[in-house]
Amino acid sequence: MYSKEELFLAISNVIDPEVGFNLVEMGLIYDASCDEDGNAHVTMTLSTKACPMHQLIQQWVKEAVEKMANIKEVEIELVWEPEWNVTMANDNVKKALGGG
Amino acid sequence: MFSVSQDFAPPFKLISPFFILGSLFYVFSAMFLFSFSVENIALLDTKVLSFVHLFLLGFIMMSIFGSMAQLVPVVLEVGHFGVELFYAIWPLLGIGTVLMVIGFLSSPALLPYGGVVVLIAMMIFVMEIFLTIKKVKKLNNVMSSILISNTFLFFGIIFGLVIALGYAGTIEVDISNLLKSHVFLVIFGYIAITLMGLSLVLLPMFGLSHGFSKKPLEIAMTIMSISVILIVLSSFIDFVILSYLGYLLAIVSLCVYFYLVQSIYKTRARKENDVYVMSLFFAYASMIVSLIFAIIYLFTNFEPLLLSAGWLIFFGLFGFAVTGHIYKIVPFLVWFERFSPLVGKQKVPMLADMVPPKSSQAQFIFCAVGVVIVAIAILLQNDTLIKAGASFLLVGSLAFFRSVLYMINYK
Repeated sequence: MYSKEELFLAISNVIDPEVGFNLVEMGLIYDASCDEDGNAHVTMTLSTKACPMHQLIQQWVKEAVEKMANIKEVEIELVWEPEWNVTMANDNVKKALGGG
Repeated sequence: MFSVSQDFAPPFKLISPFFILGSLFYVFSAMFLFSFSVENIALLDTKVLSFVHLFLLGFIMMSIFGSMAQLVPVVLEVGHFGVELFYAIWPLLGIGTVLMVIGFLSSPALLPYGGVVVLIAMMIFVMEIFLTIKKVKKLNNVMSSILISNTFLFFGIIFGLVIALGYAGTIEVDISNLLKSHVFLVIFGYIAITLMGLSLVLLPMFGLSHGFSKKPLEIAMTIMSISVILIVLSSFIDFVILSYLGYLLAIVSLCVYFYLVQSIYKTRARKENDVYVMSLFFAYASMIVSLIFAIIYLFTNFEPLLLSAGWLIFFGLFGFAVTGHIYKIVPFLVWFERFSPLVGKQKVPMLADMVPPKSSQAQFIFCAVGVVIVAIAILLQNDTLIKAGASFLLVGSLAFFRSVLYMINYK
């Protein structure tokens, strides 16, 4: 129903309030898919396991996808492999953080 | 929609009194410095003991306990056993601190009362932490650090109460011997090991560091634990080498810890130097200078070196590590409570927007200058310099108090 790019675009509205970048440009969203019935599946990680906002961030991602038309259900899969590092972020983020 | 529990962010009204009261005690500590003169600057002077308890219990412990209400579930990855117990901790710790400060200054009879109130506050804290740790299925090295540090705190406060009873004349004990154990159990056993463990979580989290070895934490913690145990044993066994070995191991442990911090710093992706990073720079620089002073003291026995090293550890390392982290923890808690429900509905601030730039910078600069001046004043035994340093610290601490209120009331 929706392509990976369309789902990523919807999720790019979710911003990490600590660093100020959206989750997609941070490279935290690994994959996203949606079947013809409107069931979406997002595979994501977080920059640290100890993130106190981990529940909130997953909820925001879920809500961002749920806002898309005809989406029935959203499943968030939080994974720790591969472990996130800054090389997964896009160039803008790297540059803004001072590492690029 | 799945519900977001408050396991990882307890209600702010529960934690805010810790930070408000803690920052007030920071101001009082700076004010207290004006009363010092060269004659008072000695290890066992009652004014020094009063000041140390005001700063360590009122500011450092109060802030650590408030921070732990939020950080323990984050680190242990389980909810608190009974987070409501924290409502009882801050009033008890506040009252106990005041009683102990007055007790040391002018009324030794108050010391056991103050000691008991502090003991109750800390026992509630320690037991709550132990019962929360009990929920953890498998301990990692950070979780172990919480367990070890709280065990040392448990014994440290018992030693403290025995000393308070001795000071008041209720029982007869060798205070100077027990004091060494009390100091090491609380300062190095609890505060330093807590700092080490939390560093492994907080420094990479805020700096976005990855790919560093965690081994130095285990080594630093093990060495520090042995050091504390040796010092406690030396209180009961008359064998001078035990003490010296304990001191030496504490220095080695802090050096290994510094290596860990440096490797986390080197691998960080986030290069901006905000007030948090600057505070940590100053904290660790103070630690290094303090270690150098401590090493020279071991060879020279020149007491001002030891006092200056202690000052740098307290106001430099602990003070700046705490103030720096408060600039991260308080905005998060306020943001979580006030703004997280508005995400997606209206524009919300970033966490960094909630830190007042001017007063946080003023706090950093004035406090850093004040700490350096007082460290020199202690070395030179100079009254005027102490007052000068105290002036800087008073302005800095007031700026800090203002920053805390600003962050708490951010709308």
